[in-house]
Amino acid sequence: MNRRRRLSRESWIGLSLALSYMVFTAIFWVYPFFWLARLSVTQWRFFDEPIFTGTRNLVMTLQDPQFLQSLLNVLRFLVMYVPIAFGGALVVAFGLQHVGRGKAFVALCFLLSNVSSGVALSLVFTKIFSSTGPLNALLFDWLGIRIPWTTHPTLAMLAIALVVAWKFVGYYGLILYSGLLTIPKDIYDAARLDHASPLTRLARITLPLLNAQLMMVLVFAILVSFGLFTEPFLITGGGPGDSTMPPQMMIYETAFRRLQPSHAAMMSILVSVASYALIVIARRLFERKVTLA
Amino acid sequence: MIARRAMLRLGLAGSAALLAGCSPKNAEKRTDRIRLWVAPNEAEEGFWKIAVARWNALGRGLPVSFTTIPTAGSSEDTVLSALVSGNEPDLCTNVFSGFAVQLAALGQVENLAAMPGYGALIARRHMAEITPGWTQDGKVSALPIYSSPTLIWWRADLLEAHGFTAPPRTYEDVYAFCERYGRARSRYGMQVAAGRSWADRWFDFISFYYAASGGQPYLEGARALYDNAAGRQAAGFMNHMFRKGWTALDFDAEEPLVSGLAAGGVRGPWDVERFARIYPETLARIEVGPMIARTAASPGPGATFSDSKGVVIFKSSKVGRQAFDFLAWVLGEEDLNLLWLQRTGLSPARGDLLDNPHFAGYYRTSPIGRAYAAHVSNARPPALSEYTIDIQKIMTGRLVEPLMTGQKSPEEALAQAVAQTDQMLKVQM
Repeated sequence: MNRRRRLSRESWIGLSLALSYMVFTAIFWVYPFFWLARLSVTQWRFFDEPIFTGTRNLVMTLQDPQFLQSLLNVLRFLVMYVPIAFGGALVVAFGLQHVGRGKAFVALCFLLSNVSSGVALSLVFTKIFSSTGPLNALLFDWLGIRIPWTTHPTLAMLAIALVVAWKFVGYYGLILYSGLLTIPKDIYDAARLDHASPLTRLARITLPLLNAQLMMVLVFAILVSFGLFTEPFLITGGGPGDSTMPPQMMIYETAFRRLQPSHAAMMSILVSVASYALIVIARRLFERKVTLA
Repeated sequence: MIARRAMLRLGLAGSAALLAGCSPKNAEKRTDRIRLWVAPNEAEEGFWKIAVARWNALGRGLPVSFTTIPTAGSSEDTVLSALVSGNEPDLCTNVFSGFAVQLAALGQVENLAAMPGYGALIARRHMAEITPGWTQDGKVSALPIYSSPTLIWWRADLLEAHGFTAPPRTYEDVYAFCERYGRARSRYGMQVAAGRSWADRWFDFISFYYAASGGQPYLEGARALYDNAAGRQAAGFMNHMFRKGWTALDFDAEEPLVSGLAAGGVRGPWDVERFARIYPETLARIEVGPMIARTAASPGPGATFSDSKGVVIFKSSKVGRQAFDFLAWVLGEEDLNLLWLQRTGLSPARGDLLDNPHFAGYYRTSPIGRAYAAHVSNARPPALSEYTIDIQKIMTGRLVEPLMTGQKSPEEALAQAVAQTDQMLKVQM
């Protein structure tokens, strides 16, 4: 009896504690989610009552070349970002393995870029990449050339990929480093006895055994690419010719600049579906179940 | 046990506070005072503090209380949020004409032209030449408080060192100066492209277009008009500057007038205060020239773009008439107009700035301010359109950027930009 009462009290406390989270979620997630779903099938301009329009917003969004361009831009970004971010993260992870004393300090330093303000970073990189900025001044002095980092469609996307990669490489590196720590040394010793070259060890042992961490980084990279806003907004303004316009910027401008929130709601749903689909495809293609026998 | 109860109470109190924060929509509007939002900057806030105190002391109408627009980002977002949640004030300043048109299309702002005393205010403030740019179908959604024409700042010392005793007035003058001053990819005659944002078009192509066309509109209803002689002149000038390498693709790294990276650039009166604070030595060397065109405007100042901000009265206000009385008093009082000028350095939107003895003292001591004041009557605001962003994004992507990179001739770029604008407007309207 006594035991039952104690359990009941604990349940009550647990429920109460969970309730605060549930209330928070209901207000800031569930309500906006249903409102978004409602908006996406209606016509609403902030001050009137939403009028049901069925698939009108869907058709309009799928026929909007600017929106389709913004989705394509995500793929263009990923093509540049993933190799840079993975390459950089692997270098960080392998580098950390060779750091003796002060490893925690070095790891924290890598995280600094990740916690820095995106706005501040973007403003600094805008100056660095400017056609009259220090990077181009250096290139002009050495090679007599200036690179149009922010005015050429491909280079502008590369510039954004470099800035975002700089921000996340340390974070991804720490994830990979945690994976490296879990690989038993014995496997490498056995491979060495079999005269496996460093490249073979990397391709046959390290990368396969890091699959879980690599997948995690890949999923994070996909999420970053769909959530991109600050860097293109401040560095290129989405240009030149919408070539660096990300979906989030498109949604923001449609909702709050063009004052078409219903259209923007449909865009955000399609972007969520696209990001989910891309993650599923990536997992199907690259995820492996790795077990140490 | 006590700790658990305290935690529970804390959790419940937190949830209640969260729910309490969601105030009901369309909160009851006050009728005992006029609520005013002003631009969130020190200079304007200082002006409104004095103006509101004087009004309240006079007791001529309902008392006014003001705050700065509570924004961390753009004023437009904050105003929209306030309107949606029903927390908007009665009056709001810092509204650009395109946003005012959007608000009017959504039925959120009053037609100020229908307010009693509107005609008298326009006459008293000498705004007859200014208001047409703010009138659409006979309706005025926002009344301009100030008008900031765009003009070209030149480094007088650099002009003089290269044989120019006065700022360039025509394209040929600029070319002649660039020929002498420019150095391949390291020193430029003039900053031509203002930036990559849609709003930057006000400070390059649209300014050049107004100067070339004598202030003719670039948009009428659902039709873009700038594929004409003036558009070809303005685009031709920009194209020539980029092809010759007399201007850079961007000047994001630094303020080019300070180092002399560029000797000239389009600037507004708001830059005076910025330069006075950060680059006072450069400001002392600046000479303000007119917006350039193929032929110099004569007689008098030529046309240019005006970056103006206006004030709106929201339809939800229960004290709209009284709010307009306050507005008419603030805008109509010459003493307050002078105070505005002294505090902000921005020219009040009135056509008699250089003729009115009230302002003579100020302009005697401010040659740059005088240059801007001379252009207030001839400065044109942006086209009144709900679709300003789309129009200027097309202008950026289809006209200015191809000219920067040389992908298209001015004629091709103009034709493409205008065709795409027309198509976009046809779909939207």
